Amino acid sequence: MNTRSLRFQLIGWYAGLLFGLFGLLGVSTYWALRTSLAGSLKENQLRRARQIGQLLREEVGRQDEGIVGREVQARYAPDLNDRFVRIAGRDGGLVYLSPSPKSQSFDPAALPPPKWSEEAEGAREVPLLGGRRMLLAGHPVKMPGGNLYLVEVGAPMDEVQADLRHWLVFLLAMLPIVAATAVGGGYVLVERALAPVDRISCSAERISSQNLSERLPVPHTGDELERLSVALNHMIERLDAAFQHSRRFVADASHELRTPLTIVRGELESFVTNDQLRAEWRERLGSALEEVDRLASIVEGLFAISRLDAGEAASEWVTFDLAQLAASTADQMGLLAEDKRIQVICTGVRGVWVEGDRARMKQVVVNLLDNAIKYTPEGGAVSLKVEAEDGRAILEVADNGVGIPPEALPRVFERFFRVDKARSRGQGGAGLGLSIVKSICAAHHGRVEVSSEPGRGSRFRVELPRVRPSASHDPSQDKP
Amino acid sequence: MAVTRMRMLLVEDERKVADFVARGLREERFAVDVAYDGTVGWEMASRRQYDLIILDLMLPGINGTEVLRRLHQQGSTAAVLVLTARDGINDKVENFEAGADDYLTKPFAFEELLMRVRALLRRPPTNRGSTLRVADLEVDRLTQQVRRAGKRIELTPKEFALLEYLAAHAGQVLSRTMIVEHVWDESFENLTNIVDVYVRHLRSKVDDPFPIKLIRTVRGAGYSVGEDKGP
Repeated sequence: MNTRSLRFQLIGWYAGLLFGLFGLLGVSTYWALRTSLAGSLKENQLRRARQIGQLLREEVGRQDEGIVGREVQARYAPDLNDRFVRIAGRDGGLVYLSPSPKSQSFDPAALPPPKWSEEAEGAREVPLLGGRRMLLAGHPVKMPGGNLYLVEVGAPMDEVQADLRHWLVFLLAMLPIVAATAVGGGYVLVERALAPVDRISCSAERISSQNLSERLPVPHTGDELERLSVALNHMIERLDAAFQHSRRFVADASHELRTPLTIVRGELESFVTNDQLRAEWRERLGSALEEVDRLASIVEGLFAISRLDAGEAASEWVTFDLAQLAASTADQMGLLAEDKRIQVICTGVRGVWVEGDRARMKQVVVNLLDNAIKYTPEGGAVSLKVEAEDGRAILEVADNGVGIPPEALPRVFERFFRVDKARSRGQGGAGLGLSIVKSICAAHHGRVEVSSEPGRGSRFRVELPRVRPSASHDPSQDKP
Repeated sequence: MAVTRMRMLLVEDERKVADFVARGLREERFAVDVAYDGTVGWEMASRRQYDLIILDLMLPGINGTEVLRRLHQQGSTAAVLVLTARDGINDKVENFEAGADDYLTKPFAFEELLMRVRALLRRPPTNRGSTLRVADLEVDRLTQQVRRAGKRIELTPKEFALLEYLAAHAGQVLSRTMIVEHVWDESFENLTNIVDVYVRHLRSKVDDPFPIKLIRTVRGAGYSVGEDKGP
């Protein structure tokens, strides 16, 4: 899962926020409940302590302290009610201590000593064994004689703790439901919000330099997404204009160069073929004419590329066998390879049908083979393979020649790019062969890729959409 | 060459192109009239009967396509060779429909223009018989056999096609582009070095064993077959 996607982040934020709110609510209700339960328990204990204090005030003075203990025991029976009662004198004497409760839930003797406070009554929580707690309320009683007693009443907080535990269990039980709702709800919301964005990016993905005239569908919703589509369409429009401008420039420039080239060539030709002229002059003019030819072939190449890129209709669009085309082309170029003692190994099955302009596709094979032969030293090997792979036709031309350095690989299909400027110019060519290959492949809805290892060779791979063979196929189209 | 001189009209607004084409054609003993714009061209074409009209398409005045249409309407018998820098498929179709007989794109080699002119005038400069003869070289088109000084020479089909093309136009200089387009096809356009390789192989069989060399390299222009007229 892509954790950086907007979808993931939005769902994360949404779920996190819901979770946080739930947690806050849980903690606050827990504390509120705890305060309320403990408060009422404390009130109860204090009330009882006051009653015992009242009893103490009434009884002591008339009789001795012992009667108070008996009275308390008789009235409240703390050991039966699971309560703790302690009456202590300021001088340290213990007036009364409730016996161990029947439930044995605590040991009265083990509780911490009284905590003296002259005036105010108060309550505190003291720990019992086993993690339990007891709420201990204290009520000071001041006798007219000046004697000071402290009445303490305590009750275990078991019920409070149990109630709180129940609440906690309830909260925890709600947790997965809240989590599922948060993530699920977030997912649905985000999906609904982002689905149009996906549609826009899919449409945008389909638009390349080959079909810049297409536009994205604009949802007329009046929202941000409509604005986004419109803005993207404007951008594509500007790109389209820029591309068209550059193509028109190349097409116009190469077109304009043709007439002067015709003149120069015509004038030079008349000298070169003139036998009355001195041989040395003929030689020099011939050299100039060779350059004119090269210039003309560059101009033609540029013109061809600009027309292919503009998506101009091909002269013929037929179904043909790519394997057969490759084999016959390799055969025609055999002598070129033989001349350098290079072996051309042609493999693959027949019947790999593609659709397109046969002459242009043949030029792809010619240019790739020529390139391979050119950059393979004498005695090397070039392999040409055509095969069907899923819905695609694959043409692969590999050599064991000089290869292409990695830094030059991404640029080999650029116009006029040369790996080794000095050497390849000596071998002729304008540096347009591979960009023509690329343009032809693109015009056939295919693509071309290159991989190479310097010193070990290069591999060019052309991928084209495969089609079913047509009935009107004529296998004798190739010249022998 | 035949006695009747062929008369042709060249309509081309680019003066320099018009000049060297006219000069070259006159050297080949054709009678050439030149018009530098469409209006004048059309007037001349409608006034006089030409055997051939070489017509540029982008002309000031009446444009070339319009001239073609008018010629066609008028029922002109002149063959028309269209000369232009445009080479879109649609242009070609449009002009053939309007009555063009052939089409040549700039920049062109003059020799190619000449060949097309001759083809259009149905005046093949060379022997149309089954056997082509150049000096002591014989190329039999039917049996695909080649002999020199009576000795049989074995050639591959491609070498034969090349030699046949050169011999059929003996004395003419054929550019590498013309050879490639004729012997191979336009896919090999930028691969003119294939011509050099084949010519070298051809030479080793046809010329090397003999004292007189027939295949001549004309630097910058191409190849030609014939007895060397040089000094």
